[in-house]
Amino acid sequence: MKHINKYVETVGSLDRKERPVDPLSKPSGPGDQEAGPKRPETGSPSRDNLMKRMRKVDPKQAEKYRQRTGE
Amino acid sequence: MAKNIGPLKLSKSSMNPVRLFGIETEYGIAREDTETADPVVESMELVRAYLDGHFTRRWDYRGEHPHEDQRGFRVSELAQDKEEDLFAEQDAHRPFSFHEMKSDLVLPNGARFYNDHTHPEYSTPECRSLKDIVAHDRAGERILWVAAQRRNEVLGGRVVQLYKNNTDFHGHSYGCHDNFLVSRSIKFENLVRGLLPFLVSRQLIAGAGKVGREAQERGLTPGGFQISQRADFMETELSVDTMHNRPILNTRDEPHANRERYRRLHLILGDANMCEYATALKIGTTRVVLDMIAEGFVPSFDLSSPVQAIQVISQDPDLKAVVNRQQGGTISGLDIQREYVQQARLVLTDIDEETEWILQEWEQVLHQLEQDPLQLVGKIDWVTKRWLLDSFVQDEGIGWDDHWLASLDLEYHNLDPERGLFFGLEGEGRTTGISQEREIQEAMKHGPVDTRGGLRGLCVQRFGEDITSIQWEGVHFNGKGGKLHLDLLDYLEPGSVADCRTVIQEATTPQEMIESMTVKNS
Repeated sequence: MKHINKYVETVGSLDRKERPVDPLSKPSGPGDQEAGPKRPETGSPSRDNLMKRMRKVDPKQAEKYRQRTGE
Repeated sequence: MAKNIGPLKLSKSSMNPVRLFGIETEYGIAREDTETADPVVESMELVRAYLDGHFTRRWDYRGEHPHEDQRGFRVSELAQDKEEDLFAEQDAHRPFSFHEMKSDLVLPNGARFYNDHTHPEYSTPECRSLKDIVAHDRAGERILWVAAQRRNEVLGGRVVQLYKNNTDFHGHSYGCHDNFLVSRSIKFENLVRGLLPFLVSRQLIAGAGKVGREAQERGLTPGGFQISQRADFMETELSVDTMHNRPILNTRDEPHANRERYRRLHLILGDANMCEYATALKIGTTRVVLDMIAEGFVPSFDLSSPVQAIQVISQDPDLKAVVNRQQGGTISGLDIQREYVQQARLVLTDIDEETEWILQEWEQVLHQLEQDPLQLVGKIDWVTKRWLLDSFVQDEGIGWDDHWLASLDLEYHNLDPERGLFFGLEGEGRTTGISQEREIQEAMKHGPVDTRGGLRGLCVQRFGEDITSIQWEGVHFNGKGGKLHLDLLDYLEPGSVADCRTVIQEATTPQEMIESMTVKNS
């Protein structure tokens, strides 16, 4: 599969920027409110982007979507 | 912009030789430019789009025994056999054979990619660490999307769309199966007793969320939101079937390892996860429970009706519902999970770094589900999807019975990075990653270095043209003196895998590889 490097270049453009955090250096347990993502904010630009993306979805899309039974 | 939380410091290999797992995912596929697309052809063409050249049949089906039952018998037929026969009749007019239709590929990373029941299916190579299984699950998404892009180039538009979900909202479900190698010394009835309450409530961590209700072959009843995509399709506690009469615990006895020593636990009840964190905890918590059972753990209670319980728990995203215990009284899904994680601390004596990470995160998720579920947006799929849909319902002033919500539910799972709602969240930095981008890209090219999945992939990379047949347990090659066989059945522990890896890397031909292996083993 020689094309694999070309594929990696293609998908490498997907927006996935890294902000690594080491979980073991800061143990997180019940009550540790700093762990995990923050509560989603309302009215933020990123929320607006998501709502915009959602409004573009065809309301009939699921109605048209048909699959055969799988396992 | 995914926030990455590890387990970054975890060693990639556990010394437990039977700690091996993998995920098989059947994807939904749709053509948006025509209503008359043939699903058989579409799935086949999608898989083949990943190839540079022509398809050559190499997968060896002789290792597959779907009629063998862990309970010690063989069934004469599966519930799906009649439907399969019907499809075979319908498919008979097509100008290609069954094997051409399946188009089974083994990729250079040791994964299997093929057309299963008209769904493109990606089976990860065997993995030994959570870090690897998450990277390989994500690699599968990327490989499928790359295949779709290539197929769309041929079709002249972005018309093929892929969905990593489990339902078409018309009563047709397709699976995401998680598999674990388990010692045969554990009695199957002990596995069943130890696992059932855990599996019934595992959806709290690993459910992908779904609007409305369904039943097999019946349409969607709109309204409401439930935790699991698959709960509506669970019909019995135990069964060898996978397409009808689906069980919470599948009894197929197909170990893909030494049958005298191992079982393969084949779980078909799970949802396909978009959140890496949910994938890690789904596999991690299940692995921990298997370790507990291996140590003799038995839950203090049984559920009166596990099938009813899985649906009751799924239909209560506010987590207030309780289910009946055989021994009397009731228990909530959260309390079932708490019993397991608390017992794990008592039962497991040798807790390694990865296990400690699992236990800490498991405890925290249960705490947050009870106290503040929105903390889990971007980590747990059903919480994330519910938040997205709830925001939309409020913004648009529509009801929870609006059909638009099923379309949004579907779109959460779309693999197209410009359309998928999960990927929209990921792009906004609201998801929690386990894998680094470079690890996902590496997983697209190479299998895990410490499992036979990596060995299989290495064979494809080094001697792909010489392979005549291949499957989970071994590889056959054409050699100068005739057929050659690399038996991977017993390459389960890291030391033997490392030795075999060195031999494959140093050999210049399959012949040389087998000869070196023979000398090493003599």
